Amino acid sequence: MDIKKVLNEATKQIEQCSDQQELQNVKVVYLGKKGKITELLKSLKDLSLEEKKSTGAKLNLLRTDIDKLIKNKLDSLKVKEINSKLKNEFLDISFPPPKSNLSKVHPISKTFDEVINIFASMGYSVAEGPDIETDYFNFSALNIPANHPAREMQDTFYIDDTDKDNKPYVLRTHTSPVQIRTLLNEKPPVKIIAPGRTYRCDSDSTHSPMFHQVEGLFINENTNMGDLKGTLIEFCKQFFNVQNLKVRFRPSYFPFTEPSAEMDIAYEIVNNKIHLGTGDFWLEILGCGMVNPIVLENCNVDTKIYQGFAFGMGLDRITMLKYGLTDIRSFFSGNLNWIANNGFSIGDY
Amino acid sequence: MKFSYSWLCDHLETDKNAVEIGDALTNIGLELESLTDYSSYSKFVVATIIDFHKHPNADRLNICTVDDGTKTYQVICGANNVKKGLKGIFAKDGMYIPGTQIYLKKGKIRGEISEGMLLSERELNLSDDHDGIIELSDNFENGTSAIDALKLNDPVFEIGITPNRGDCLGVRGIARDLSAKGIGKLKPLKYEKITKLDFESPISWNIENDNNSCEYVISRYFKDVKNKLSPEWLQKKLISLGLRPINALVDITNFITHDLGRPLHVFDADKVGKKLHMRLAKPNEKILALDNKEYTLDSNSTVIADNNNALAIAGIIGGESSGCTEDTQNVFLEVAIFEKDSVAKTGRTLGINSDARYRFERGLDKKMVIEGLNYASYLINKICGGSVSKNIDSGKLDTNERKIEYKFDYFEKVIGIKLEPKKQINILKDLKFQINQSNEKQCDLLVPSWRNDIENNIDVVEEVIRIYGYENIIESIPSPSNDEIVKINNSLINKKFKAIKKLKKSLISNGVSEIITFSFHSTKAHEILSGDVSLKISNAISDDQSFMRNSMIFNHLETADMNYKKGYKNIQIFEIGPIYNTSQSQENILSLLISSQENKNSIFKSEDLNFYSISNLVSILISSLNFDIKQFNISRSSSNIFHPGQSAELNMGKKLIARYGKVHPLIMGEFPKLKNSYVIELFFENLPIDSISRTNSSNILDSQFQFSEKDFSFIFEKEQNLFEVQRYVSGIDKNLIKNVEFFDLYESKDLGENSKSVTFRVTIQSKDKTLDEKDLEQIHNNILEKVSNKFKANIRT
Repeated sequence: MDIKKVLNEATKQIEQCSDQQELQNVKVVYLGKKGKITELLKSLKDLSLEEKKSTGAKLNLLRTDIDKLIKNKLDSLKVKEINSKLKNEFLDISFPPPKSNLSKVHPISKTFDEVINIFASMGYSVAEGPDIETDYFNFSALNIPANHPAREMQDTFYIDDTDKDNKPYVLRTHTSPVQIRTLLNEKPPVKIIAPGRTYRCDSDSTHSPMFHQVEGLFINENTNMGDLKGTLIEFCKQFFNVQNLKVRFRPSYFPFTEPSAEMDIAYEIVNNKIHLGTGDFWLEILGCGMVNPIVLENCNVDTKIYQGFAFGMGLDRITMLKYGLTDIRSFFSGNLNWIANNGFSIGDY
Repeated sequence: MKFSYSWLCDHLETDKNAVEIGDALTNIGLELESLTDYSSYSKFVVATIIDFHKHPNADRLNICTVDDGTKTYQVICGANNVKKGLKGIFAKDGMYIPGTQIYLKKGKIRGEISEGMLLSERELNLSDDHDGIIELSDNFENGTSAIDALKLNDPVFEIGITPNRGDCLGVRGIARDLSAKGIGKLKPLKYEKITKLDFESPISWNIENDNNSCEYVISRYFKDVKNKLSPEWLQKKLISLGLRPINALVDITNFITHDLGRPLHVFDADKVGKKLHMRLAKPNEKILALDNKEYTLDSNSTVIADNNNALAIAGIIGGESSGCTEDTQNVFLEVAIFEKDSVAKTGRTLGINSDARYRFERGLDKKMVIEGLNYASYLINKICGGSVSKNIDSGKLDTNERKIEYKFDYFEKVIGIKLEPKKQINILKDLKFQINQSNEKQCDLLVPSWRNDIENNIDVVEEVIRIYGYENIIESIPSPSNDEIVKINNSLINKKFKAIKKLKKSLISNGVSEIITFSFHSTKAHEILSGDVSLKISNAISDDQSFMRNSMIFNHLETADMNYKKGYKNIQIFEIGPIYNTSQSQENILSLLISSQENKNSIFKSEDLNFYSISNLVSILISSLNFDIKQFNISRSSSNIFHPGQSAELNMGKKLIARYGKVHPLIMGEFPKLKNSYVIELFFENLPIDSISRTNSSNILDSQFQFSEKDFSFIFEKEQNLFEVQRYVSGIDKNLIKNVEFFDLYESKDLGENSKSVTFRVTIQSKDKTLDEKDLEQIHNNILEKVSNKFKANIRT
């Protein structure tokens, strides 16, 4: 009995199989119930005990070897079949994809978020007020009486409807009425910011009939003008991300603050780009001051005990400065190209 | 306010240059807006053409030999006034020419070398004159700077005056404020008072007792004057302000208005009656003013009138009929005090912005009345001759100064730095406050007559720090207190902003971009969307912005339309902002528009856009705020912005939480290019904001036992609310039913007009064991029985 011959023969036949069915047939021929190895085992009965033992062992080895060969062949046939199937599933990977419309948030959203966070880290809560305001909250309570020339500093939109004082409603010209609303609702200490939409009837490349401001108000027993300066410088350092920030506070006038100031930050032009924080030119950033005691009294705050500061700045303006944007009108154009170029994707928001 | 350096120096003795003065003005709150300064022109010098001849290759050009005092140059010149001996202004190679905005470069012109340029006025930005090169009339030395030769040494300042500083609406007031800052010394006014007042004025005054705005008026009559063109110095001053000289009498009043900040008026005395009145206008009284416009007055305005006609609108503008012309022989000068609010109101009503109104409505120095009278009399008399009457006045001139009891330590409390009383007093003295009594703690102040704006201690503090310098305030950063942090964390508005941020993040990760549109509506949008009448803007800039919006849909459709025209086919936009129900009711909402014009043949097939995909997006948005859409009641939306059959609204109790669906075809009719458009409005402010922030969820452990899924099909009545079915099925066995997912809806004639077939899959799982066949069958039967009973539904097999 030539075991070696059987193995060679089996190896050859397994090798020649081209699909799983053929391989299965070969497997039956050798390892099946009536297969060659079974037959060989049957022939053992005529041998001596010694021979039975050694030939039996060899036959078992043969079975294991053939089994292994078949399993290996089966694996390789499977791979071959999958590969040939994949060949029919090839796509044109060079087909150009359409223009991607990555969605973005508006730059103003990013600014809102940053402003709220920076001031939250300094202890400021957010407050709100309506866009359609009474004459009293927008002007009179802020020490801007009727016929005061300061009213002409701000071109006001009026609404065709009157309030309980029989005065037409106005579109708030600044976020300052939120100071009044907050002080009438809360007892000092008060420490708030109020971001929101504001309106003036003015429209050109630097003015938009609608824009955004943020108001700040901090009232307690001892807040002074040094605190005002420090707070605003710290805000600008964080917002514009400039550590050495050259600033200037100039005397100015707002009826609702006294003393009043405007804050400028230095800039220079480097490689045709505006660079903030250094240089010999100045950019106006915001208006601020110590809250005029008349305003506090209008809100029933005891001015013998309480004092504090307020500020207001244009959010569109600081956004434009920070990101080098030039036309405020494009902010409100809804132009998706502009949003795609200037907005912030989720990772940056 | 505009003025020149030399004009300022008429009032201020200073060694500071224009740039230093500009800085000082800004530092004391008189913000420098522009400084026109020719100091860079010193590089251009006087030069003489010592010889010239025709250019061989160009008819119109000459080759000049030019001497600038140090050297001679060959200059090619095309001017028609070239001549031997002409003295002009010369620019050399490399110099910047402001009028043409180029740098000169030595080079050949038609083959001949040119080493510089003789300049025209336009090339120096002095005028538009480009007819020829500048010809200097005086005999200047070659090499003299252009500044000296052209007298350009007078820079012009333009400063912003805040409404409280009426005192700085004259050059003298500005000089006075600068002197308080230590920038020079205020000079006394240089004129002689006319002492020879030798006749009674034939015209007299009467301030009527009718609440008109005049407190006081004083006048003089000038007899036998000769009006003419103003002398050069006066014309030059007015031109430097951009004013046109007219005649001496008018120019003098304009000059004093800007020099002393004191408006006054001259009447041609022969064109007015003998009795002049300050009175309220009659209703609809008309006057032709000096600006050549006719104004119709109301009875709140004060006029100056004779017995017959209104002659001037008090404190605002004179009348055409009584104005001085070159033929005027007798003049009546009027200097008055008008109440500022009244002038402001009349000026605003009539829309007249005059130099006089600007000053009156900011409040004037009452002591300047007599000064103005004297100064004007001097100038009229000096320039136009004639004789001057005695004063004639009416009313009461109250020049009492305001008293303030000022406490020195208030400064430190407000400003945060210590400043000794002595130093504070010195600053106040420099500002011409009179200090009557003072001790360590306080002093009695008399406010200068020109500072109507200073009324109390805080005003005084502001004056002291303004002059002391804001740069000396030491900054400090107040650190946040624990109370403040707690307050922020509990603040509903802060929570709302956090919720808004979640919504935005959720939207941009779902492919929707944020836009911001105006809070306005056009008249058309207002009508289509039935906005409230109280939302009309009275003084709208344009018809596009004539109402406040009661929805963002129209703005967003317009935006989509505009972007569609730019080539965007799939538009997915949102805005979070205000809408207005009435003038007193505003809500902040999220409004989202998806408009798809996708090419159906495209290889890039995205999900179908339909009501169900929009409803899925609503669910995602609501989940991003930690709510579950199943919590709300769903019903068809009654809003006329939506397709009635493909829109829904979600409510929580009576509060509207969201509405969404396909935009109504009637609205889409306005936007024929946009086909398939869907809108979501999320009224997030109506959600209980406290629940928006994530709290620890009840710790539901995942069951380890096998789950089972079973599909159920029922035939319901067509109007059956499936939210209710879903809620009901989930509640049949809260322990075992983990999820109820609807996935098929089928309507057909076979089922009957009023029926629909619905399939949902129920996931069943126990915490305690693997459920066997028997357990499952029991639940299945329970569901079949309860649903069919509850909703009168047929089980579909």
